[in-house]
Amino acid sequence: MQFAINGLMSGAIYALIAVGIVSVYKATKVVNFAHGYLIMFGAYFYFTFAVIVPNQPWAPEWLASWNPEWMVEMREGLPMFSPMGAILDWAANVPRILLGLAGALVCNAIVGRIIERVLMRPLMGQSVFAMIMVTVGLISIMSGSAQLIWTADAANVPYIAPNTPIRFELFGSMIFLFGTDLVNMIIALVLFAAIVAFVRFTKGGIAIRATAEDQSTAYSMGISVPKVFSRAWVLASTTGAIAGAILATRNGISPSLGLFGFSVLAIVLMGGLDSYVGVFIAAMTVGVLEAMTQWKMGGNWAEIVPYVAVLVVLIWRPHGLLGQKEVERI
Amino acid sequence: MINANLKSSYAADERVLDNRYKQGFVYGSILLLALFTLFGSDYAILIGSQMGILLIAVVGINVLTGYTGLVSLGHGAFVAIGAYAVTIFNNVATGIIPAGIMPFLSLPFAVFLAAAVGVLVGLPSLRVKGLYLAVATLAANFIVIFLIEEELFAPWTGGMVGLTTNAPNFFGWVLDTKREMFGLIAVLGVLALLAAQNLMRTRVGRAFIAIRDRDYSAEILGISLLRYKLTSFAISAAYCGLAGALFAYFYARILPEQFELALSLQLVAALIVGGLGRTMGPVFGVIVIVLVPELIKITFGAVTGDAAGMAQLRAPLQEIAFGALLVLFLLKEPLGINQIVDRILRAANRWPFARG
Repeated sequence: MQFAINGLMSGAIYALIAVGIVSVYKATKVVNFAHGYLIMFGAYFYFTFAVIVPNQPWAPEWLASWNPEWMVEMREGLPMFSPMGAILDWAANVPRILLGLAGALVCNAIVGRIIERVLMRPLMGQSVFAMIMVTVGLISIMSGSAQLIWTADAANVPYIAPNTPIRFELFGSMIFLFGTDLVNMIIALVLFAAIVAFVRFTKGGIAIRATAEDQSTAYSMGISVPKVFSRAWVLASTTGAIAGAILATRNGISPSLGLFGFSVLAIVLMGGLDSYVGVFIAAMTVGVLEAMTQWKMGGNWAEIVPYVAVLVVLIWRPHGLLGQKEVERI
Repeated sequence: MINANLKSSYAADERVLDNRYKQGFVYGSILLLALFTLFGSDYAILIGSQMGILLIAVVGINVLTGYTGLVSLGHGAFVAIGAYAVTIFNNVATGIIPAGIMPFLSLPFAVFLAAAVGVLVGLPSLRVKGLYLAVATLAANFIVIFLIEEELFAPWTGGMVGLTTNAPNFFGWVLDTKREMFGLIAVLGVLALLAAQNLMRTRVGRAFIAIRDRDYSAEILGISLLRYKLTSFAISAAYCGLAGALFAYFYARILPEQFELALSLQLVAALIVGGLGRTMGPVFGVIVIVLVPELIKITFGAVTGDAAGMAQLRAPLQEIAFGALLVLFLLKEPLGINQIVDRILRAANRWPFARG
């Protein structure tokens, strides 16, 4: 039971990352192999704005550690490791967390925009193979420049939410969670739902779906297709930024975050490239399967769970669980 | 100088090297390679060997991606299988098989094992294609490397720390210097290229090209997709297995991390930079992909004077250059260097008349 819950939590984060890949694919028919590295950029931006900037000498003091009068008073007389203490510790970090998230969002949106403008737009209308290989080239460009800018050091970052342990009983077994994991999961799920709603109900979302259906018809109906493309990329890179921030607090930041993107890519294909629901199911399934594998066979084996799962699903259903079958004409 | 290739018999038309220029080029290159093996500097031999090993693998990818049109991002796994197979075979069979004929058994073993795994990995290609296949092969790459690293097989594969390899011994002639190894690599590299060129004029090669152009049409013409797609996978995996075996012979030690995704991407990048579906494409691509990082290393060393603090910036720069090359060629010259060379040769051929 404990493992199932843990699995659902990592599944939610997988889903949040996957939504970026699906959005870009739906709008532009490009599968972004470099999405993991976009996430890594998000994590590094979060680190920059939440840790490096507040620690600069010119930054105001309240940014690094926010300690108003009433908080100091509340802290007095609290026992060690109490839940309240954890919340207060978190509250002191609130300004820099907010700054970090905002900075990560803005910077990643700019990065996504640049990628779309410089690399993707000249390739509009070219073969899918070329576009995919461009994103593959992007992998080494991004991982190289991340190492150049931030060097390869992994560092600690503040948690997004109070990290209090939570214990409760469910179906007769004891469950033990960290508050921050729970909040991460909620953030991921809410964002996922918001994006699905955005694509389904708003005007911009309908434009994205129309472009996905048929580019030239969308053009003739007055939809600015290039604008849709850049919107999809910005959407993907901003969700990537939040996913990056969450992952940074969970596993720390390192260049290996980029590899995470490949397992998410496997999940996306497993669910079906153009189906949000399928991807959600796949993400949750893989999350739980991973946790189960970790429990039964040890941590190492969990690494390859997404890859084995995608191979099995692809042989059984070539277009993923709920993916639409492409109609091919000769 | 404008000229045509007059052929007066079918036999002349069917030859692998069907005109004088090609013959001259191939014999000339073989001569140059022989001279290079004898007189090249040690550094040049080292770079040349790296190129040769990579070349054989890229020729393999060319058969699959360039000619059959199946994208694979997992061929690093086959190189790994070749390297490990030849080393493990050697370790297990020492004492049973005399050392002098060991390479004649272990090399084919590595090649066939890689081809067999290639067929296995190729199975999804019957159901999925394009992007889905790319991800399926990517997944296969991760799984193979994972199995090699796994504790369970560590007695044979050495796990994370890798294996110490041995030098090949042909009837008592141990190729234990880099120069001797380069000779072997060069011979096999030229043979690999000629074999690939030959393959494309046979029934099998034409079937590959038909599948690349449109797989359903090919099936309607009576080409068995099952058979030829798997053949293509097997051939390309066999090339990669050979490259892996040479890799194991050339270096003193093999580590699982050498065969991860980075290698697979490097192979595909070399092919794209050189030119997809052309015999000389892999040659140009490999030259560029190996030389550019070396040039960066040399210029970087000259500019910064090997300062310790700057040295750590080199690896990321090389990585960026690699990605930039790939992106640049895709944006500006999708058919690769081969196309540029073709253009130059055509202009030279027509000189002093119209260029183009």
